[in-house]
Amino acid sequence: MHISDGVLPTAVALGTSAVSAGFLLWSLRRTPADDLPKVAVLTSAFFVASLIHLPFGPTSVHLLIPGLVGALLGPSAFLAIALGLVLQCLLFQFGGLTALGANLLLMGLPALLAGLVFYHFKGRSKKQRILVGALCGGGATIFSALLLALLLASGGEDFIGVAKLALLAHIPVVLVEAGVSAMVVSFLLKVKPELLDIPFVLKEKM
Amino acid sequence: MHQLIKPVELEHEDLLMQVESLSYRYPDGTQALAGIDLQVRAGDRIALVGHNGSGKTTLVKQLCGLLQPDEGRVRYKGEQLSGEHLASARLEIGLLFQDPDDQLFGNSLYEDVAFGPRNQGLSEVDVDLAVRQALRSVGLEDLLFKPPHALSYGQKKRAALAGLLAMRPSLLILDEPTANLDPAQERIFLDLLKNYSGTLILISHDLIFLYELCERALVLDRARVHHDYALKELVEHRPSLREHGLDFSFRFAESRRREERVEVERRKVRDPSDGTGPAAENPSTLVDLRSLSYRYPDGTEALRGIDLAIQPGERLALVGENGAGKSTLLMCLLGILPFSGEYLFTGKKIMPGKGRLVWQQTGMVFQDCADQLVCPSCYDEVAFAPRQFGLDEAQIRIQVEMALKMVKLDGFDDRVPLHLSGGERKRLALASVLSLQPQLLILDEPTAGLDPQGEELLLDILSEIDATLILVSHDIFFVRELTERTLVMHAGQIALDYSTTDFFNDKNLTSLNGLDYTYRDQCALQIRALQHRHEHAHRHKHLHEHDHRHGELVHQHPHEHEHEHCHTYVHRHAEAGAHQHPAQSEYHEHEHPGHEQDDHDHSH
Amino acid sequence: MSGTLQVSILWLLPLLLLPLAVYSGFRMLIGIARKEQGEGERDWSVPQLEFEGGESSPVHRWDVRFKLASFLILAFVIVSLQHPQTALAALMLALLGYRLAAIPWRRGFKRLLGMAGFLSMFLLMLPLTAVRHSGDLVLVFGSIDWLGFNLRGLDLAILIILRAATVALLMEPLLATAPLPVTLAGLARMGVPRRLTELLLISHRYLYVFLHEARRMQIGMEVRGFRKSTSLATLRSVGNYVGMLFVRSFERTERVHAAMLARGYQGYWPQPISFNVMPADYLKAAALIGLGLLLVICDQFMVG
Repeated sequence: MHISDGVLPTAVALGTSAVSAGFLLWSLRRTPADDLPKVAVLTSAFFVASLIHLPFGPTSVHLLIPGLVGALLGPSAFLAIALGLVLQCLLFQFGGLTALGANLLLMGLPALLAGLVFYHFKGRSKKQRILVGALCGGGATIFSALLLALLLASGGEDFIGVAKLALLAHIPVVLVEAGVSAMVVSFLLKVKPELLDIPFVLKEKM
Repeated sequence: MHQLIKPVELEHEDLLMQVESLSYRYPDGTQALAGIDLQVRAGDRIALVGHNGSGKTTLVKQLCGLLQPDEGRVRYKGEQLSGEHLASARLEIGLLFQDPDDQLFGNSLYEDVAFGPRNQGLSEVDVDLAVRQALRSVGLEDLLFKPPHALSYGQKKRAALAGLLAMRPSLLILDEPTANLDPAQERIFLDLLKNYSGTLILISHDLIFLYELCERALVLDRARVHHDYALKELVEHRPSLREHGLDFSFRFAESRRREERVEVERRKVRDPSDGTGPAAENPSTLVDLRSLSYRYPDGTEALRGIDLAIQPGERLALVGENGAGKSTLLMCLLGILPFSGEYLFTGKKIMPGKGRLVWQQTGMVFQDCADQLVCPSCYDEVAFAPRQFGLDEAQIRIQVEMALKMVKLDGFDDRVPLHLSGGERKRLALASVLSLQPQLLILDEPTAGLDPQGEELLLDILSEIDATLILVSHDIFFVRELTERTLVMHAGQIALDYSTTDFFNDKNLTSLNGLDYTYRDQCALQIRALQHRHEHAHRHKHLHEHDHRHGELVHQHPHEHEHEHCHTYVHRHAEAGAHQHPAQSEYHEHEHPGHEQDDHDHSH
Repeated sequence: MSGTLQVSILWLLPLLLLPLAVYSGFRMLIGIARKEQGEGERDWSVPQLEFEGGESSPVHRWDVRFKLASFLILAFVIVSLQHPQTALAALMLALLGYRLAAIPWRRGFKRLLGMAGFLSMFLLMLPLTAVRHSGDLVLVFGSIDWLGFNLRGLDLAILIILRAATVALLMEPLLATAPLPVTLAGLARMGVPRRLTELLLISHRYLYVFLHEARRMQIGMEVRGFRKSTSLATLRSVGNYVGMLFVRSFERTERVHAAMLARGYQGYWPQPISFNVMPADYLKAAALIGLGLLLVICDQFMVG
């Protein structure tokens, strides 16, 4: 779920924009110059994946995949998510112009965290990798939902009800996200396991 | 010091590229290139051929400095490809990738084509000139500012070439330039490349195309240069062609398959009177389209009033230029696009967007099998469709094994589809739809990207499958071998609907859609004629007049004797396969070096 | 007027259906707008404005940098408005601006639809969950007194919707009146790292490639009978699908990078786009920001 324009207090919108810009510059620096075009191309694929809808009971949820992006791209994940969100804002108005910083923060931070967790705890065995993948997928979504609720609640006491609803609405998303992440990791393990070894932007430093 | 270097440069003055004992391993350890030595002269036109996986693309990447050699050296104009020199060399070497989407990274054609010239540091005025000129030369000057994603495949391919031509490269390297193109677009490529005056390196499986453009053939086999000689020599030598997977002469083997099938057809026609044949079980028309139309979301008419009836067991071909509406028609047949008009499948009405009934009985093999293969193992891939339709696992196993066997991939159950070769993937895609035992099989350009050996195998497999068939292909040979009815599509309509035999005899087709399907056949025959030179070594009688030595006595008189030697003469092929030699006298003159020195024993 | 107002329980239904009505209203707008266009094949030999071409307008002729700066400031001004009345005025102005920029309505309405789901949530929740202050007017339905419909909450929701819609409508005149590369070059001139704008261009291009690729893969699965459901099998299939999408994109990434290098890419995208500042550019910027200022002043002095 992306925050649209006009919801956040102006101060919050400006503040999150500044913080996001900081993270974005850091992520840009961390990505080797040679790999920048690659991150751009991958971003398009992540973008397309995030348009996939899955049925959950009577409703349907769409994938967010911050966990997977984090696990695959490491520190560049923030950059990739920034590109994706700008495009989404440009093309579809999912997430508004003034709320771009806030949206970036609530997707990007969980991705970075998931990347860190996956990198350090993925282990060697397939089972563990799948499990950690699921945890990253689900965990990143929970984190993202909490940030969303927090940002919504920053609008004042009137918004607490909405924040709670947004949090509740993420329960199916967390489940689906964890499941899909596990499946994707298991697929990649069989087909192209090297993608999961090290985020490719880190490769040169290894 | 300078004097020491200078002579070396002079010596290689006309050498554009030198490869010296180049070796390269992939990161996973596979030997990709081993001890390659190669010299490319300015003005050379080289056909780079060999099996899939023989290292052609890797070699080409080395030539552009996209990969660094493990051992050996690659020099361009006498200097090793690295650093500054590499950067400037890349501005003079043009490399056309297989997939044009890899190469068109600009947001409009103009932006994209301008990328190279701008990197060359031209002024904007010159860039503008170069861009317009390049796009004009490939016939895309009307689409200067169109985003690449809105182009057709053939247009993309030409746009990618324009991006290279705009840089005025001195060396042009093309990787499979004509794969998936219709004859008209292929012709455009051919003409463009014929007019290109620089050095050319062409990777292709298409011997006919190579034969038109290249003089020199470089054959790679298992990471090594196997041959490096004139293309004509390679073409003449069938065993070499066969060895390197280039032999397309199966296309001339007199079509036993076709005859058998015609026989089967005849029986089928008789069957209904017995009332026992499969046709009697299902007398209704399989596919019945009535004034089917479709518009793209942007309003362009893609299909305009298609009327079509397909009977069970029919095998029909769908031909026409790129953009004639063939793929759109297939998507409507599958019930995917929101068409208007009436569509009955086995007598039941199909609503747009609700094609489940069709899918259950139809197998569609996509042009690019990457779009179809999504599972981590071959078994899962083939079992995908039966599982979706709720068959039980035991039954699925039987059907999967059967389908894999049919496409000659038995034992591949646990292999990863993504790691298979192009030909294997194509067959796997076929198996993945055969496992549902479809009534209707739809093939969209099945030969795209296959080498001739792969084509031959696919043809064998396809001719054994017993299902109603719709074949979309530019490959006239497959059309002839596999189908008996041909639909010619043009501008969203079925322009002609007749038997495949009539299609082959149709002389007016070119004027309809500008496609000359016979052109390739003619070229193939030309090559085939060359090949015959070495195949006809039989005994001939000869009349000689020359010196005879009988000990000390030397005299001269004509005499007759029989011996075997090869003859080079041009002859025609009346029918594919069979051929006629021009009438030739039993006795004829010819050179016979050394014959005079032989001992002769005969009475006088 | 404040306090609690007892109304019939029948009122609950229309009030709860309000979000739904707004949502379907947005949908209808799209339907109407779709009929508006009937374009044939465009002439691609002239420079295109991003997405769909329109005739030239004052907005089109505006220097991108001034346009970007003015619109960005205006957007933040609009989201700071505190009264529905001023927000409504802003929306009217935005509609006027949209008309001035001569862009098909369909595009703007599509943007509204993009937010419709999220905004409906506010329309549904805020009236029911807003904290009751002493000055609020709350509708209570029959005997269900725990469920109060707070009209201040409704006001707040409407304010949010008006602000969001206004900014969304500004996006089209901002983005669709110049080709994307020009807009991004303008951003780069304004201090956004050039690397970022270059990456955006590449992402934007490959977005379409992957959209088509994903669509074809999806058709490939569908014709083999794949139907999504809430099940483990669906999860596995979608996992495979997403995984395959990633693998293909990783492979393409390498090829695209190689293709860029082969055409002389040396770490930056050559893009000589020149800007030409005219007095009119300053004037337009001043006008737009002045308008924003006016809105803020009205908003400040608004009572109630």
